[in-house]
Amino acid sequence: MDLIDRYLAAIARRLPAENAGDIVAEIRDDLLTRQEVREDALGRPLNRKEVAALIKDVGHPLIVASRYRPQQYLIGPDAFPFFVATLRIVAMVVALAFVVTAASSVVFGHADIAHALGRAMSNLFSSAMLAFGTVAAVFYALERTGFPAEHLAKWRPQDLPEVKDKQPNVWGSAFEVAVGVYFILWWCGLVPFPTYYGNVKGLILAPDPIWAAVWWPVLALMVARLIYNIVQWLRPRWKMVLAVLSVGTAAGGLGLAYVIYQAGHWLTASGTLPADQLADIDHGVNLGIHWAIVVVGAILVLQGLQEVWRLATSRPGVVGVKAI
Amino acid sequence: MPVDDDTFEKLRVELRRGSLVLAVLGALREERYGYTLRQSLEDAGLLIDEGALYPLLRRLESQRLLISEWREEAKRTKRFYRLSVDGTDTLAALLHEWNAISESILRLTEKDK
Repeated sequence: MDLIDRYLAAIARRLPAENAGDIVAEIRDDLLTRQEVREDALGRPLNRKEVAALIKDVGHPLIVASRYRPQQYLIGPDAFPFFVATLRIVAMVVALAFVVTAASSVVFGHADIAHALGRAMSNLFSSAMLAFGTVAAVFYALERTGFPAEHLAKWRPQDLPEVKDKQPNVWGSAFEVAVGVYFILWWCGLVPFPTYYGNVKGLILAPDPIWAAVWWPVLALMVARLIYNIVQWLRPRWKMVLAVLSVGTAAGGLGLAYVIYQAGHWLTASGTLPADQLADIDHGVNLGIHWAIVVVGAILVLQGLQEVWRLATSRPGVVGVKAI
Repeated sequence: MPVDDDTFEKLRVELRRGSLVLAVLGALREERYGYTLRQSLEDAGLLIDEGALYPLLRRLESQRLLISEWREEAKRTKRFYRLSVDGTDTLAALLHEWNAISESILRLTEKDK
Protein backbone atom coordinates (compact mmCIF):
# COMPACT_ATOMS: atom_id res chain seq x y z
CA MET A 1 0.00 0.00 0.00
CA ASP A 2 2.86 2.33 0.77
CA LEU A 3 4.04 2.40 -2.85
CA ILE A 4 0.53 2.74 -4.21
CA ASP A 5 -0.23 5.61 -1.83
CA ARG A 6 2.97 7.40 -2.77
CA TYR A 7 2.18 6.91 -6.46
CA LEU A 8 -1.38 8.19 -6.10
CA ALA A 9 -0.21 11.19 -4.06
CA ALA A 10 2.28 12.04 -6.82
CA ILE A 11 -0.53 11.96 -9.38
CA ALA A 12 -2.93 13.95 -7.16
CA ARG A 13 -0.36 16.75 -6.74
CA ARG A 14 -0.50 17.31 -10.52
CA LEU A 15 -4.25 17.25 -10.92
CA PRO A 16 -6.77 20.08 -10.62
CA ALA A 17 -7.89 20.16 -6.97
CA GLU A 18 -11.60 19.99 -7.78
CA ASN A 19 -11.49 16.48 -9.25
CA ALA A 20 -8.19 15.08 -7.98
CA GLY A 21 -9.90 12.97 -5.31
CA ASP A 22 -12.31 11.41 -7.76
CA ILE A 23 -9.63 10.58 -10.32
CA VAL A 24 -7.23 9.17 -7.76
CA ALA A 25 -9.96 7.01 -6.18
CA GLU A 26 -10.62 5.42 -9.55
CA ILE A 27 -6.93 4.73 -10.23
CA ARG A 28 -6.58 3.32 -6.70
CA ASP A 29 -9.46 0.91 -7.27
CA ASP A 30 -7.98 -0.19 -10.57
CA LEU A 31 -4.54 -0.81 -9.05
CA LEU A 32 -5.97 -2.71 -6.08
CA THR A 33 -8.20 -4.82 -8.33
CA ARG A 34 -5.25 -5.73 -10.50
CA GLN A 35 -3.18 -6.49 -7.44
CA GLU A 36 -5.90 -8.82 -6.13
CA VAL A 37 -6.30 -10.58 -9.48
CA ARG A 38 -2.57 -11.13 -9.66
CA GLU A 39 -2.37 -12.38 -6.06
CA ASP A 40 -5.26 -14.79 -6.70
CA ALA A 41 -3.41 -16.15 -9.73
CA LEU A 42 -0.15 -16.59 -7.78
CA GLY A 43 -1.82 -17.77 -4.57
CA ARG A 44 0.30 -15.39 -2.46
CA PRO A 45 0.64 -11.67 -1.70
CA LEU A 46 2.69 -9.60 -4.15
CA ASN A 47 6.09 -8.50 -2.97
CA ARG A 48 7.27 -4.88 -3.16
CA LYS A 49 9.04 -5.39 -6.47
CA GLU A 50 5.94 -6.88 -8.08
CA VAL A 51 3.75 -4.02 -6.80
CA ALA A 52 6.27 -1.56 -8.24
CA ALA A 53 6.04 -3.33 -11.62
CA LEU A 54 2.26 -3.12 -11.47
CA ILE A 55 2.43 0.62 -10.79
CA LYS A 56 5.00 1.17 -13.51
CA ASP A 57 2.62 -0.35 -16.05
CA VAL A 58 0.17 2.51 -15.42
CA GLY A 59 2.81 5.12 -16.23
CA HIS A 60 4.81 8.02 -14.81
CA PRO A 61 2.68 10.21 -12.49
CA LEU A 62 3.36 13.27 -14.65
CA ILE A 63 2.15 11.49 -17.80
CA VAL A 64 -0.88 9.98 -16.11
CA ALA A 65 -1.92 13.32 -14.61
CA SER A 66 -1.35 15.16 -17.90
CA ARG A 67 -3.82 12.85 -19.65
CA TYR A 68 -6.61 14.30 -17.55
CA ARG A 69 -5.91 17.80 -18.73
CA PRO A 70 -7.85 19.09 -21.74
CA GLN A 71 -4.78 20.42 -23.57
CA GLN A 72 -1.48 18.59 -23.37
CA TYR A 73 0.59 20.72 -25.68
CA LEU A 74 1.96 24.24 -25.73
CA ILE A 75 1.52 24.82 -29.45
CA GLY A 76 -0.69 22.41 -31.37
CA PRO A 77 -0.15 20.89 -34.81
CA ASP A 78 -2.31 23.52 -36.56
CA ALA A 79 -0.39 26.47 -35.13
CA PHE A 80 3.04 24.82 -35.23
CA PRO A 81 3.88 25.62 -38.90
CA PHE A 82 2.96 29.28 -38.26
CA PHE A 83 5.06 29.21 -35.10
CA VAL A 84 8.11 27.86 -36.94
CA ALA A 85 7.67 30.35 -39.80
CA THR A 86 7.37 33.26 -37.36
CA LEU A 87 10.33 32.03 -35.35
CA ARG A 88 12.45 31.82 -38.50
CA ILE A 89 11.57 35.41 -39.42
CA VAL A 90 12.24 36.71 -35.90
CA ALA A 91 15.52 34.76 -35.69
CA MET A 92 16.70 36.23 -38.99
CA VAL A 93 15.79 39.77 -37.96
CA VAL A 94 17.48 39.38 -34.56
CA ALA A 95 20.62 37.85 -36.11
CA LEU A 96 20.88 40.53 -38.79
CA ALA A 97 20.19 43.33 -36.30
CA PHE A 98 23.20 42.07 -34.35
CA VAL A 99 25.32 41.85 -37.48
CA VAL A 100 24.39 45.46 -38.32
CA THR A 101 25.12 46.58 -34.75
CA ALA A 102 28.47 44.80 -34.63
CA ALA A 103 29.42 46.00 -38.12
CA SER A 104 28.49 49.59 -37.34
CA SER A 105 30.54 49.66 -34.16
CA VAL A 106 33.54 48.31 -36.11
CA VAL A 107 33.06 50.54 -39.18
CA PHE A 108 32.44 53.69 -37.18
CA GLY A 109 35.40 53.07 -34.94
CA HIS A 110 33.79 52.07 -31.65
CA ALA A 111 35.50 48.73 -31.30
CA ASP A 112 37.82 46.24 -32.90
CA ILE A 113 36.35 43.20 -34.68
CA ALA A 114 37.03 40.70 -31.87
CA HIS A 115 35.54 42.99 -29.23
CA ALA A 116 32.49 43.80 -31.34
CA LEU A 117 31.92 40.13 -32.19
CA GLY A 118 32.29 39.05 -28.57
CA ARG A 119 29.83 41.64 -27.36
CA ALA A 120 27.38 40.84 -30.16
CA MET A 121 27.54 37.09 -29.46
CA SER A 122 26.90 37.50 -25.74
CA ASN A 123 23.94 39.80 -26.39
CA LEU A 124 22.72 37.64 -29.28
CA PHE A 125 22.15 34.60 -27.08
CA SER A 126 20.01 36.42 -24.51
CA SER A 127 18.13 38.31 -27.22
CA ALA A 128 17.48 35.10 -29.18
CA MET A 129 16.17 33.40 -26.02
CA LEU A 130 13.96 36.41 -25.26
CA ALA A 131 12.65 36.44 -28.85
CA PHE A 132 11.98 32.68 -28.74
CA GLY A 133 10.17 33.00 -25.41
CA THR A 134 8.10 35.94 -26.63
CA VAL A 135 7.06 34.18 -29.85
CA ALA A 136 6.23 31.00 -27.91
CA ALA A 137 4.17 32.99 -25.38
CA VAL A 138 2.27 34.77 -28.16
CA PHE A 139 1.50 31.46 -29.90
CA TYR A 140 0.53 29.86 -26.60
CA ALA A 141 -2.05 32.63 -26.18
CA LEU A 142 -3.17 32.41 -29.83
CA GLU A 143 -3.55 28.65 -29.56
CA ARG A 144 -6.02 29.13 -26.73
CA THR A 145 -8.04 31.80 -28.51
CA GLY A 146 -8.74 29.67 -31.58
CA PHE A 147 -6.30 31.45 -33.89
CA PRO A 148 -5.12 28.51 -36.03
CA ALA A 149 -8.61 27.22 -36.82
CA GLU A 150 -9.84 30.76 -37.52
CA HIS A 151 -6.85 31.62 -39.69
CA LEU A 152 -7.00 28.35 -41.61
CA ALA A 153 -10.70 28.89 -42.28
CA LYS A 154 -10.16 32.46 -43.50
CA TRP A 155 -7.21 32.10 -45.85
CA ARG A 156 -7.94 32.63 -49.53
CA PRO A 157 -6.13 31.00 -52.44
CA GLN A 158 -6.63 34.32 -54.27
CA ASP A 159 -4.17 35.97 -51.86
CA LEU A 160 -1.30 33.67 -52.84
CA PRO A 161 1.46 35.31 -54.93
CA GLU A 162 1.19 34.85 -58.66
CA VAL A 163 3.61 32.39 -60.21
CA LYS A 164 5.20 35.15 -62.29
CA ASP A 165 5.54 37.44 -59.25
CA LYS A 166 9.09 38.11 -58.25
CA GLN A 167 9.55 36.21 -55.00
CA PRO A 168 11.16 38.33 -52.33
CA ASN A 169 14.70 37.46 -51.38
CA VAL A 170 14.34 36.22 -47.80
CA TRP A 171 17.74 37.31 -46.55
CA GLY A 172 17.57 40.58 -48.43
CA SER A 173 14.17 41.37 -46.94
CA ALA A 174 15.30 40.33 -43.47
CA PHE A 175 18.36 42.57 -43.86
CA GLU A 176 16.20 45.56 -44.84
CA VAL A 177 13.89 44.94 -41.88
CA ALA A 178 16.85 44.56 -39.52
CA VAL A 179 18.42 47.80 -40.79
CA GLY A 180 15.05 49.53 -40.46
CA VAL A 181 14.65 48.34 -36.87
CA TYR A 182 18.21 49.36 -36.06
CA PHE A 183 17.74 52.83 -37.58
CA ILE A 184 14.53 53.42 -35.62
CA LEU A 185 16.20 52.28 -32.40
CA TRP A 186 19.15 54.56 -33.12
CA TRP A 187 16.89 57.49 -34.01
CA CYS A 188 15.04 56.99 -30.70
CA GLY A 189 18.34 56.93 -28.83
CA LEU A 190 18.03 53.29 -27.80
CA VAL A 191 21.27 52.20 -29.49
CA PRO A 192 24.49 54.27 -29.60
CA PHE A 193 25.11 56.86 -32.29
CA PRO A 194 27.64 55.44 -34.78
CA THR A 195 30.22 58.24 -34.83
CA TYR A 196 33.03 58.04 -37.33
CA TYR A 197 34.73 61.01 -35.67
CA GLY A 198 34.58 59.42 -32.20
CA ASN A 199 38.34 58.96 -32.15
CA VAL A 200 39.16 62.53 -33.15
CA LYS A 201 40.17 64.28 -29.96
CA GLY A 202 38.86 67.77 -29.42
CA LEU A 203 36.11 67.54 -32.03
CA ILE A 204 32.39 67.73 -31.31
CA LEU A 205 29.85 67.52 -34.09
CA ALA A 206 26.49 68.75 -32.85
CA PRO A 207 23.27 68.36 -34.85
CA ASP A 208 21.60 71.62 -35.86
CA PRO A 209 18.04 72.47 -34.71
CA ILE A 210 16.62 71.25 -38.04
CA TRP A 211 17.04 67.64 -36.86
CA ALA A 212 14.94 68.26 -33.73
CA ALA A 213 12.29 69.91 -35.91
CA VAL A 214 12.02 66.89 -38.22
CA TRP A 215 12.39 64.21 -35.52
CA TRP A 216 8.78 63.00 -35.62
CA PRO A 217 8.40 63.12 -39.43
CA VAL A 218 11.63 61.13 -39.85
CA LEU A 219 10.45 58.56 -37.30
CA ALA A 220 7.07 58.27 -39.05
CA LEU A 221 8.81 57.84 -42.40
CA MET A 222 11.12 55.13 -41.08
CA VAL A 223 8.23 53.25 -39.46
CA ALA A 224 6.27 53.43 -42.74
CA ARG A 225 9.33 52.18 -44.62
CA LEU A 226 9.74 49.34 -42.11
CA ILE A 227 6.10 48.36 -42.62
CA TYR A 228 6.69 48.46 -46.39
CA ASN A 229 9.69 46.12 -46.07
CA ILE A 230 7.80 43.72 -43.80
CA VAL A 231 4.81 43.62 -46.16
CA GLN A 232 7.07 43.13 -49.17
CA TRP A 233 8.76 40.24 -47.40
CA LEU A 234 5.76 38.50 -45.89
CA ARG A 235 2.81 39.57 -48.04
CA PRO A 236 4.17 40.29 -51.53
CA ARG A 237 0.66 39.79 -52.92
CA TRP A 238 -0.59 42.97 -51.21
CA LYS A 239 0.40 45.05 -54.20
CA MET A 240 -1.91 47.96 -53.54
CA VAL A 241 -0.64 48.29 -49.98
CA LEU A 242 2.93 48.10 -51.24
CA ALA A 243 2.29 50.65 -54.00
CA VAL A 244 0.65 53.11 -51.59
CA LEU A 245 3.44 52.68 -49.04
CA SER A 246 6.12 52.97 -51.70
CA VAL A 247 4.69 56.12 -53.29
CA GLY A 248 3.79 57.53 -49.87
CA THR A 249 7.24 57.00 -48.39
CA ALA A 250 8.91 58.29 -51.56
CA ALA A 251 6.76 61.45 -51.52
CA GLY A 252 7.18 61.87 -47.76
CA GLY A 253 10.90 61.30 -48.04
CA LEU A 254 11.18 63.81 -50.86
CA GLY A 255 9.27 66.42 -48.85
CA LEU A 256 11.44 65.79 -45.83
CA ALA A 257 14.61 65.92 -47.90
CA TYR A 258 13.47 69.29 -49.26
CA VAL A 259 12.75 70.66 -45.76
CA ILE A 260 16.09 69.40 -44.47
CA TYR A 261 17.88 70.70 -47.56
CA GLN A 262 16.38 74.15 -47.03
CA ALA A 263 18.13 74.39 -43.65
CA GLY A 264 21.44 74.76 -45.51
CA HIS A 265 23.50 73.71 -42.49
CA TRP A 266 23.04 70.44 -40.61
CA LEU A 267 25.96 69.80 -38.27
CA THR A 268 28.13 72.24 -36.37
CA ALA A 269 31.73 71.42 -35.61
CA SER A 270 33.14 72.70 -32.34
CA GLY A 271 35.77 71.72 -29.78
CA THR A 272 39.34 72.41 -28.87
CA LEU A 273 40.83 72.02 -32.36
CA PRO A 274 42.24 75.13 -34.05
CA ALA A 275 39.48 77.38 -35.43
CA ASP A 276 40.53 77.05 -39.08
CA GLN A 277 40.59 73.26 -38.80
CA LEU A 278 37.13 73.31 -37.20
CA ALA A 279 35.85 75.54 -40.01
CA ASP A 280 37.25 73.13 -42.62
CA ILE A 281 35.63 70.16 -40.94
CA ASP A 282 32.33 72.05 -40.59
CA HIS A 283 32.41 72.98 -44.28
CA GLY A 284 33.41 69.47 -45.43
CA VAL A 285 30.81 67.67 -43.34
CA ASN A 286 27.98 69.96 -44.43
CA LEU A 287 29.05 69.76 -48.05
CA GLY A 288 28.88 65.97 -47.78
CA ILE A 289 25.41 66.17 -46.26
CA HIS A 290 24.37 68.62 -48.98
CA TRP A 291 25.23 66.12 -51.72
CA ALA A 292 23.83 63.19 -49.76
CA ILE A 293 20.45 64.95 -49.57
CA VAL A 294 20.58 65.69 -53.31
CA VAL A 295 21.35 62.04 -54.11
CA VAL A 296 18.66 60.74 -51.73
CA GLY A 297 16.16 63.16 -53.28
CA ALA A 298 17.00 61.94 -56.77
CA ILE A 299 16.65 58.30 -55.72
CA LEU A 300 13.27 59.05 -54.12
CA VAL A 301 12.03 60.81 -57.27
CA LEU A 302 13.06 57.80 -59.39
CA GLN A 303 11.51 55.37 -56.94
CA GLY A 304 8.22 57.29 -56.87
CA LEU A 305 8.10 57.58 -60.67
CA GLN A 306 8.84 53.88 -61.05
CA GLU A 307 5.99 52.98 -58.67
CA VAL A 308 3.55 55.36 -60.36
CA TRP A 309 4.53 53.87 -63.73
CA ARG A 310 4.00 50.34 -62.40
CA LEU A 311 0.59 51.33 -61.03
CA ALA A 312 -0.44 52.98 -64.29
CA THR A 313 0.63 50.06 -66.48
CA SER A 314 -0.49 47.13 -64.31
CA ARG A 315 -3.48 45.09 -65.48
CA PRO A 316 -6.75 45.74 -63.67
CA GLY A 317 -7.40 43.09 -61.06
CA VAL A 318 -3.74 42.39 -60.42
CA VAL A 319 -2.99 45.39 -58.26
CA GLY A 320 -5.68 45.10 -55.61
CA VAL A 321 -5.19 43.09 -52.50
CA LYS A 322 -8.56 41.47 -52.98
CA ALA A 323 -8.22 40.93 -56.70
CA ILE A 324 -8.50 37.41 -58.01
CA MET B 1 7.27 -6.54 -44.41
CA PRO B 2 7.87 -3.55 -46.73
CA VAL B 3 8.74 -1.09 -43.92
CA ASP B 4 10.71 -1.39 -40.70
CA ASP B 5 9.04 -2.56 -37.50
CA ASP B 6 9.07 0.89 -35.92
CA THR B 7 7.23 2.49 -38.82
CA PHE B 8 4.70 -0.34 -38.90
CA GLU B 9 4.14 -0.05 -35.15
CA LYS B 10 3.47 3.70 -35.45
CA LEU B 11 0.97 3.11 -38.26
CA ARG B 12 -0.69 0.30 -36.33
CA VAL B 13 -1.06 2.45 -33.19
CA GLU B 14 -2.47 5.29 -35.30
CA LEU B 15 -4.97 2.95 -36.93
CA ARG B 16 -6.08 1.47 -33.63
CA ARG B 17 -6.33 4.78 -31.82
CA GLY B 18 -9.22 5.88 -33.97
CA SER B 19 -11.12 2.66 -33.45
CA LEU B 20 -10.62 2.57 -29.68
CA VAL B 21 -13.43 5.03 -28.94
CA LEU B 22 -15.77 2.88 -30.99
CA ALA B 23 -14.67 -0.22 -29.11
CA VAL B 24 -15.13 1.44 -25.70
CA LEU B 25 -18.57 2.76 -26.60
CA GLY B 26 -19.52 -0.66 -27.97
CA ALA B 27 -18.33 -2.45 -24.84
CA LEU B 28 -20.22 -0.05 -22.58
CA ARG B 29 -23.61 -0.95 -23.97
CA GLU B 30 -23.29 -3.19 -20.92
CA GLU B 31 -22.39 -1.51 -17.62
CA ARG B 32 -18.78 -2.05 -16.57
CA TYR B 33 -16.10 -0.52 -14.37
CA GLY B 34 -12.59 0.25 -15.58
CA TYR B 35 -10.94 -3.08 -14.87
CA THR B 36 -13.71 -5.22 -16.39
CA LEU B 37 -13.92 -2.89 -19.37
CA ARG B 38 -10.23 -3.33 -20.08
CA GLN B 39 -10.59 -7.07 -19.69
CA SER B 40 -13.42 -7.18 -22.20
CA LEU B 41 -11.37 -5.11 -24.65
CA GLU B 42 -8.36 -7.38 -24.19
CA ASP B 43 -10.51 -10.48 -24.61
CA ALA B 44 -11.70 -9.00 -27.90
CA GLY B 45 -8.07 -8.50 -28.95
CA LEU B 46 -7.86 -4.74 -28.29
CA LEU B 47 -5.04 -3.79 -25.93
CA ILE B 48 -5.24 -0.35 -24.40
CA ASP B 49 -2.46 1.62 -22.74
CA GLU B 50 -2.87 1.27 -18.97
CA GLY B 51 -2.90 4.99 -18.30
CA ALA B 52 -5.06 5.94 -21.26
CA LEU B 53 -8.36 4.22 -20.47
CA TYR B 54 -9.60 6.31 -17.55
CA PRO B 55 -8.86 9.71 -19.15
CA LEU B 56 -10.69 8.46 -22.25
CA LEU B 57 -13.69 7.45 -20.13
CA ARG B 58 -13.71 10.90 -18.50
CA ARG B 59 -13.56 12.60 -21.85
CA LEU B 60 -16.43 10.53 -23.23
CA GLU B 61 -18.42 11.28 -20.10
CA SER B 62 -17.75 15.02 -20.43
CA GLN B 63 -19.02 14.69 -24.02
CA ARG B 64 -22.22 13.19 -22.53
CA LEU B 65 -21.71 9.90 -24.35
CA LEU B 66 -21.30 7.99 -21.09
CA ILE B 67 -22.83 8.17 -17.62
CA SER B 68 -21.13 6.92 -14.50
CA GLU B 69 -21.85 6.24 -10.86
CA TRP B 70 -19.85 5.16 -7.84
CA ARG B 71 -21.19 1.92 -6.36
CA GLU B 72 -19.91 -0.65 -3.92
CA GLU B 73 -18.94 -4.05 -5.25
CA ALA B 74 -16.70 -6.73 -3.76
CA LYS B 75 -16.18 -4.61 -0.63
CA ARG B 76 -14.85 -1.66 -2.62
CA THR B 77 -16.40 1.39 -4.19
CA LYS B 78 -16.07 1.33 -7.96
CA ARG B 79 -17.04 3.69 -10.70
CA PHE B 80 -19.39 2.04 -13.17
CA TYR B 81 -19.81 3.36 -16.69
CA ARG B 82 -22.53 2.79 -19.27
CA LEU B 83 -23.64 4.30 -22.53
CA SER B 84 -25.97 7.32 -22.30
CA VAL B 85 -28.86 7.91 -24.69
CA ASP B 86 -26.68 10.30 -26.68
CA GLY B 87 -23.91 7.72 -26.57
CA THR B 88 -26.22 5.05 -28.01
CA ASP B 89 -27.15 7.30 -30.93
CA THR B 90 -23.54 8.31 -31.49
CA LEU B 91 -22.40 4.68 -31.39
CA ALA B 92 -24.98 3.76 -34.05
CA ALA B 93 -23.82 6.64 -36.27
CA LEU B 94 -20.16 5.77 -35.74
CA LEU B 95 -20.77 2.11 -36.50
CA HIS B 96 -22.47 3.11 -39.72
CA GLU B 97 -19.43 5.22 -40.58
CA TRP B 98 -17.09 2.41 -39.60
CA ASN B 99 -18.89 -0.09 -41.82
CA ALA B 100 -18.84 2.34 -44.74
CA ILE B 101 -15.09 2.88 -44.32
CA SER B 102 -14.51 -0.84 -43.98
CA GLU B 103 -16.47 -1.57 -47.16
CA SER B 104 -14.57 1.15 -49.02
CA ILE B 105 -11.23 -0.24 -47.91
CA LEU B 106 -12.30 -3.72 -48.90
CA ARG B 107 -13.38 -2.52 -52.33
CA LEU B 108 -10.10 -0.65 -52.80
CA THR B 109 -7.97 -3.60 -51.72
CA GLU B 110 -10.04 -6.38 -53.26
CA LYS B 111 -7.37 -7.24 -55.78
CA ASP B 112 -4.87 -7.77 -52.92
CA LYS B 113 -6.97 -10.55 -51.40
